[in-house]
Amino acid sequence: MKGKSSLPPAFTVPKVEGQRNEDRYQRSSKGVFALSDGASISFDSAAWARILVRRFAQEPEFSREWLSAAIAEFGKLHDRESLPWMQQASFDKGSFASLLGVRILDENRLIQVLAIGDSLAVLCDGDRIKCTFPYSTALQFEQSPQLLCTNLAENAFLNNADRSDELYADWTFGGLEQPALLCMTDALGQWLLSWKEPDQSAIAILRNIRTQGEFARFVRTERKAGRLRRDDTTLIALWVAP
Amino acid sequence: MSYQAEISRDNPTCFLFVIDQSGSMDEKTESGRSKAQFVADVLNRTIYTLITNCSKADGVRNYFDLGVISYGGSGVGTGFGGTLSGGIIHPINAIGDKPLRVEERLRKVDDGAGGIVEQKTKFPVWFDPTSSGGTPMRAALTKTLEVIADWCDAHRGSYPPTVLHVTDGQSSDGAPEDVATGLRQISTDDGESLLFNLHVTVGGGEEIVFPTSDSGLNDEYSRMLFRMSSSLPGHLAKFAGDKGYSITDGARGFIFNGDPKCIVDFFEIGTRPKLVADR
Repeated sequence: MKGKSSLPPAFTVPKVEGQRNEDRYQRSSKGVFALSDGASISFDSAAWARILVRRFAQEPEFSREWLSAAIAEFGKLHDRESLPWMQQASFDKGSFASLLGVRILDENRLIQVLAIGDSLAVLCDGDRIKCTFPYSTALQFEQSPQLLCTNLAENAFLNNADRSDELYADWTFGGLEQPALLCMTDALGQWLLSWKEPDQSAIAILRNIRTQGEFARFVRTERKAGRLRRDDTTLIALWVAP
Repeated sequence: MSYQAEISRDNPTCFLFVIDQSGSMDEKTESGRSKAQFVADVLNRTIYTLITNCSKADGVRNYFDLGVISYGGSGVGTGFGGTLSGGIIHPINAIGDKPLRVEERLRKVDDGAGGIVEQKTKFPVWFDPTSSGGTPMRAALTKTLEVIADWCDAHRGSYPPTVLHVTDGQSSDGAPEDVATGLRQISTDDGESLLFNLHVTVGGGEEIVFPTSDSGLNDEYSRMLFRMSSSLPGHLAKFAGDKGYSITDGARGFIFNGDPKCIVDFFEIGTRPKLVADR
């Protein structure tokens, strides 16, 4: 990183121009980044995603207590008893969102990635992908991901002790000549892992995006070409100076 | 390819439930409730779920148009009562706003500290059980065809309508197969309308679920219901498979001799739009 105070660039485009974008991200000057994709088919996923990324950026230690506090904060946003039946039912069912949290520790020697759901972290060296997490193939994006929910019962998948290791990946920039770390929501992740053009690197394409306008043009072009699924699309890109 | 249209507020799809309310629907199931009561409960729960899936903090999104046609001793007409009785198909937010009544029920929920607490929940009811008279299935499917044709004319770019037909008996006003064939030929630009048929029973016997041929069906009536049924599109076949049903290529949206669990699954699978699958 050029300096701890510099934040990596981040860009986001909604599914449909003019409609609410339910992706949320937060970056802290302490090397913590969080990205969350709120599920469209749920009560107030944008607010839930916002709570998750803000809390992770402030306190990047995910735990059962951490999640309970986030759910309690969400619960204060709405008065359940006064909601019409359909919104009360939707509130009870829960709001769902992914959480991708990254901590860069020990002067770039350790990168700790937490991934719940289908947002993707990518470690690169130059234009080459070194590793991705939690998915490694485009096909995996076709599954229904397990997401964090404001309804406790929907988070039971976290109770499985075997799962806790599956939620984390530890990476390092050490030994990489031109390291980069990318965080992206599922449509862009699927685009990246589907990329098959031998003459052009998908990472190089993302590296050339410097502004929100360029990102929006990239998304439009790839959607039009049928290569990028229409969905809220967000990228946080940490290009480390050599 | 068919059945690929994205379901959105600009391009909603349509679910039309066609419900047999003939006299034999008052037969009791093992739970003590009548077939009519059980079907009404499942239909109310299905409508509840569809509306809940479209509800967000800022309101109900009109991803679906929804209708109910009932048939029995009082003829063929809308299955909705109250202010919805003026039409057969309504946008889902209008249906959410106008149930016949909203009951208060108690349900058990996790209290977040390892315990269970009871919580008051509002539960709307749109459809009450009725059962009398004959089975004018041909007239009901003719009405369905007319409604679907009008809807498709107005929604050329949409995922085509899905008709879920629930019956426990044989048609009393003539064979409906040619009407069903016509209904399935009505299409949007995304494909032909889907007609799924569910035969309910209380008498036991072997269930035949999502068959690919009529070879296991013993009488002409059941074979006709099979022929009247659309093949399951890929995403619905996958969902049925995920629910534990043995699905092979060409499986029809047809259940014969279905028990209560089959009724629940039939509604859930039949109303599983790609929208929800995409979360």
